[in-house]
Amino acid sequence: MAFAAPQNPSRVHRIPQSKYIDAVRWLSPVSALDRFAAVAYYDTDTNSPSIEIICVDPNPQASSPILTPQSSWTPPSRISSLKTAHSTHQPILAAATFSGSIHILVSDLINGGTVESEATVSELGFHSGPVSAVDLREGGTECVSVGEDGRVNLVSFVGDSSKLSYRRIFDANGLVGYTAVKWASPSEFATGGYGFGLQWWDQRRPGGPVSQFKGNWCQGKTSGIVHSIDIHPSRKHTCLAGGSSGTVFAWDLRAQQQPIVLSGAGTGEAPISLLSESEVWEVQYDCYTRSSNIGDISSTRILPIMICSEDGILAVIEQGEEPLELLAEPCAINSFDIDQQNPSDVICSLEWESIAILTRNRTTNDFGFSIERPSFFWPVYLELLIVQYDYETLQESDNWTSVVTRK
Amino acid sequence: MPGVSSASGGSSASGGGALVPISPESQGAAVYPLNHGLKSPISRLSISWSRGNSLRVSFFAAPSSVEDDAGGTVVEVKLGGGDGEISDAHWRRIAYGSVSPFALLQSRKNAISSLSKMSTNSSPYDADWWDYIMEYSKDINALLSSQKPASVPVIDDPKSVIVKGEEPTNLKAAWELLEMFYAEKPSHLCLPERLVDWLADFDSLFSGTHPTVHSKLVDFQKELVNLQVVEDNPKYWEVMSSALAVGWLDIVVKMLRLHGSYQLDQLSNRETENGLVEAVAVLISKMPRMRLDQEAGKLGECFKAKPDFVKAREKWRAQINKLDSSAFWFQCAHLQTREGLRSMLQIMLGNANSLCSATCHWIELYISHLLYIRPFTVGLESMYSLAQKIIQLKPMASAHRLMGLIIGILGENTEVVLAECLKGFGPWMVVHAIELLTAGSDHAEMLLLEERPNLGGINIEELHRLVYAQVLSSHPLTWQIAPIYLISCMKHGMVLLQILLSKQPVQHNQLLLKSIEICRLYELHSITANIMKIAGVHHWKHGRKGSGVFWLQQARDEYRLNRIAQQLFDSVGKTISDESFKQWEGLIQLLGSDSKTAGGLEFLHKYRDFKKSLQHVFDGKTTDAARQAVESLISLMKNPSTPQRFYLPLLYDSLKLLNWKDRPLLNVSQTNLLLTKLQDLSLARLRPDFIESELPPQALNSVRLALATNLGRAILEE
Repeated sequence: MAFAAPQNPSRVHRIPQSKYIDAVRWLSPVSALDRFAAVAYYDTDTNSPSIEIICVDPNPQASSPILTPQSSWTPPSRISSLKTAHSTHQPILAAATFSGSIHILVSDLINGGTVESEATVSELGFHSGPVSAVDLREGGTECVSVGEDGRVNLVSFVGDSSKLSYRRIFDANGLVGYTAVKWASPSEFATGGYGFGLQWWDQRRPGGPVSQFKGNWCQGKTSGIVHSIDIHPSRKHTCLAGGSSGTVFAWDLRAQQQPIVLSGAGTGEAPISLLSESEVWEVQYDCYTRSSNIGDISSTRILPIMICSEDGILAVIEQGEEPLELLAEPCAINSFDIDQQNPSDVICSLEWESIAILTRNRTTNDFGFSIERPSFFWPVYLELLIVQYDYETLQESDNWTSVVTRK
Repeated sequence: MPGVSSASGGSSASGGGALVPISPESQGAAVYPLNHGLKSPISRLSISWSRGNSLRVSFFAAPSSVEDDAGGTVVEVKLGGGDGEISDAHWRRIAYGSVSPFALLQSRKNAISSLSKMSTNSSPYDADWWDYIMEYSKDINALLSSQKPASVPVIDDPKSVIVKGEEPTNLKAAWELLEMFYAEKPSHLCLPERLVDWLADFDSLFSGTHPTVHSKLVDFQKELVNLQVVEDNPKYWEVMSSALAVGWLDIVVKMLRLHGSYQLDQLSNRETENGLVEAVAVLISKMPRMRLDQEAGKLGECFKAKPDFVKAREKWRAQINKLDSSAFWFQCAHLQTREGLRSMLQIMLGNANSLCSATCHWIELYISHLLYIRPFTVGLESMYSLAQKIIQLKPMASAHRLMGLIIGILGENTEVVLAECLKGFGPWMVVHAIELLTAGSDHAEMLLLEERPNLGGINIEELHRLVYAQVLSSHPLTWQIAPIYLISCMKHGMVLLQILLSKQPVQHNQLLLKSIEICRLYELHSITANIMKIAGVHHWKHGRKGSGVFWLQQARDEYRLNRIAQQLFDSVGKTISDESFKQWEGLIQLLGSDSKTAGGLEFLHKYRDFKKSLQHVFDGKTTDAARQAVESLISLMKNPSTPQRFYLPLLYDSLKLLNWKDRPLLNVSQTNLLLTKLQDLSLARLRPDFIESELPPQALNSVRLALATNLGRAILEE
């Protein structure tokens, strides 16, 4: 593996599509060779939305990766939020629409990447107006949906009924609108909304949010909307949020009403480098970027995060460090996703009807030697082989014992 | 854009000052039947613009028709559908891609003009300027290529004469013409050769409407596979002459090598014939050419300086003449070879008749003249006069859009060039081509930048930018790049940008925030506030009270906040006494404590505080908590934003405080204040618009009694 480290730390390919892209997500791979992604398209010419499973062929010979559509599914209206669950062998997608419905899709990546709707909630009164955000629980048996109508619904899908059952956790009757949601644990989740407000919910304590992070903490003019929330599985006490005016902040539940501002609208104390002044559409913890300060991995420090923004910035932010700009596009970056198995790869949807695929190359790390991008990840079929092997040895030993007993 | 479009419409209708010549045959009305599917007769018809360039036609059936029939239908009619060559999606891709080069060039222009203002002696058009223009042109040109890279066959097939490159488009051909004539300033000497290359790339575009050398080659290519003795076929020689005439030397040499005399078994008895073929092939590949650079693998000898070229050309012609008059021709037994080769020599010697018969349309003939008869043609004037002569030699029944463009460019007629661009390629082309047209020519700059009273005081450049911006605004995906073009318009751009932003839908946050973002970029604060107000009212009307309040707060619209506060209080009175206060909690958090941004909703905040302290009183019964509750009550009652209809419920809720066992909690002045408020309320009840609170009927009396008792106790204490 003695490749010369390239001068450019990352390679970017922009692949034009002929449709608007509302959301894009990697799907957990089933084999080492194929990479799949789910894309929510919107065709303005025919006014038709679609969710497509595409195969991403890295294609080392040609100049850019080739995206091959595998299958497509037509939702009743445009997709407002798309999430995937990673820990299953068959990737599960949860898609929320502008018409207020939620669809659970299952994709069979082994047999040609087909996608089909497993279940749907579209009853009147589920949400009035669009569902603004949805999140799937790891393991994929439940998802939570929120809307600007102030409803928080829990949808569970156990079994193969085509109608999902949902439970209303809370209804704020429109007095509060929610725009983002993220699971923290099997029973807890966080929501975000107007005025940079965040709410913490616990299913074990129903009747309303358990804890609220007061909105309007930055007083007046710079207030905005939370567009995206992320919670790191190892640090459930910290809720990361990104929103208007380039604002990225974290709410440590242990230090109640004091936000940790990582970028954008400052509290006026420390000069915080302004990465972007417009909407931060999505935030995700970036497991690829190692914290440069390994000695200080105390739980109060925020792990490195990646953001994308309306003014075309894709960047990695680390607390107390200069942000690292990965992309600066002339148009907005609407959404991005970091591949969980191959975290060097990032897929982004650009406003100008194209998909960008970014491959980061780690040049040097703190130990002074170069590490190639992780080319190996644990394929599912290996696991299957191991299971089979165990089974066979078991059978053999059974035979052996039977032989022994026969003797 | 009502003002501008009517102005331009008026000028083109008047005829005399027409920007685009309207040919009389295009005015004949075309009739397209529309299938609307209505059985009953149509009573009314409504036509309006829909998204993009589609029309929405609504049919209304006569009301007296049969009951089960539909009352009407709406049909969407897509107009035009582009030129077929470039799909809508590809057009959008071009539109997106051209934003950055255009914006970069504008900012460089501004920088240069501000520099030249500071120092008067330096010319604005320096070397850098041409680099900028060329960079711009190359960036745009790159967009016009098709996305798929041409597949290059690994094995070279000797029988494939034409190498299929990427699919050429008229748009790219037109842009390369403009680039060649307007952006590449120093290479005017090599223009003929650049035209040869251009035709080699784009001759196939003419095949649709005209016979071309390219189509001849394609046809022959198909036959070639089945031909045994290629030199017996008269077409072989004809096609080669044609290809030679337009200067496609590689193809000609490749085809010559297919000649039967090269085959090993025939080499011995056709030695002279083979020698002649090879001699011609060598002569062709040694043809001197006046050009700056030569692509690797292309035939011909390059010369950069004119004297060298003249010398080499004379030598080359002498060699051709020598070969032409040599005795070997008599020893060549094969008639077709003899005739064919000699006619090729005639072409190389510049025989006008041979060139005319070898070429198909006037551009090909023109190229052949530039190659073989007048290779020293320099300057557009002489090129134009030559072109006019050629057109007379090969008159065309119908003109191709690229031909009109070439004539306009050669004739140095900026109006014609613009008109051809607009007619053939649409507003995108015009807007981006103007940058090239004005790059080096003062005349064109004057013409295009002169303010015209018949266009409402704007210049032609601005007019076309406005038109293009209008086209962009009509599509839901491209409207967001229209501002880039609008702000480059000095006169009407800003106003139209404001109209565009004000007209954007506000239903979805993403679009709304996009509009606000554009407003922020161009510092249109009043538009921002307007959009936020519209959004606020929209959300409010659709029951999303929190979102509505947020946007009105952002817009600092106290008037509307006060109005909606009145509506909110209606539901507050009912629900807040229930234990559903959690719903309100979020909204109150959102409002914050800043009374300026909250408007009349500030009351909610105080009311919540009061309710909370009252709760404490009921829970703990401590005098401290009760004192706090009284403080809240007094501040609520003092505050002018507290609605009158809440006076009684507030007082009724605090009966316990008024009748506090240990000692009176309110002093005399506080009690008096409450009594005055109660009196105000009694007066207000006489008004017809007063809303009675849902309290037991004896509430008022019990409050009065409590207040009176408290007053007495307070006086006694003092």
